[in-house]
Amino acid sequence: MSAEDKETEERLVRELQAGKKEVFDEIANLYQRKIYSLSFNLTRNQMDAQDITQDVLLTIFKKIDTFQGKSAFSSWVYRITLNASYMKLRSRKKEQYVSLDDALPSFNGAGFQKEKIRDWSESTESALFVSETREVIERAVEQLPEKEKVVFLLRDVDGLSTEKVGEILDLSVPAVKSRLHRARLFLRKKLSNYFDEYYSRVEQK
Amino acid sequence: MVCCKECIELLNDYLDGELDPKIATSLEEHFQDCPPCIAFLNTYKSTTKLCRETLKQVEIPEMVQVKLQEFLKHNIRKP
Repeated sequence: MSAEDKETEERLVRELQAGKKEVFDEIANLYQRKIYSLSFNLTRNQMDAQDITQDVLLTIFKKIDTFQGKSAFSSWVYRITLNASYMKLRSRKKEQYVSLDDALPSFNGAGFQKEKIRDWSESTESALFVSETREVIERAVEQLPEKEKVVFLLRDVDGLSTEKVGEILDLSVPAVKSRLHRARLFLRKKLSNYFDEYYSRVEQK
Repeated sequence: MVCCKECIELLNDYLDGELDPKIATSLEEHFQDCPPCIAFLNTYKSTTKLCRETLKQVEIPEMVQVKLQEFLKHNIRKP
């Protein structure tokens, strides 16, 4: 966020706190896509994401007086969004998460990689894979445990800094990094499985 | 000399440019001799890029946008 945007945001928040309700539309415009996108990626459900976005906007409006400016306003909004998303997820049937450990790379006693590693990084641009990799990614992200998933969505998808993610989740920088790394290893493994299967089908022909 | 295991553990910091220069150099030396780790590095980077491109495209659907506007009108803008 540029310094100018930050200033605008701070002004809007001050005005809303001072009772100028008409500025709320501008705040809603600034944040509704971020709120919707994060809650959709967490719930993968349009109705849920809509409900959450409404709840979050209403909470911002009603609770703006409780925002004390100790952290950035955006961090406050992200925290409200995460809480609302988790409430929604808890009301659903318990989902089955897989263990991330199975997806971690394996090494021999000397610390060398045991698996054969195929380099599929050049294949990802191909239109052939676009819709299938989308499915693979969506399914894999859904399987990530919540702790890793939220760090991955904030850091890699929303592009927030490691420090900012730490502020939102009240985590140390090393904790954010280690969760992110585990999430990436898991997702890499799922994509690798997909490309391995694809190429072994092709090679058999 | 670092092994594959250490190399992969340090990938995140390496890509963020946050490794001690000496350690970064020994990682790069390892990459030169280890095609599997190069493949791992490339696919690790691609994973991040691909996931970002795939998941970042979430837009608020028009129908939801309309509902949100109605919601704001009734719950926030009312006198």
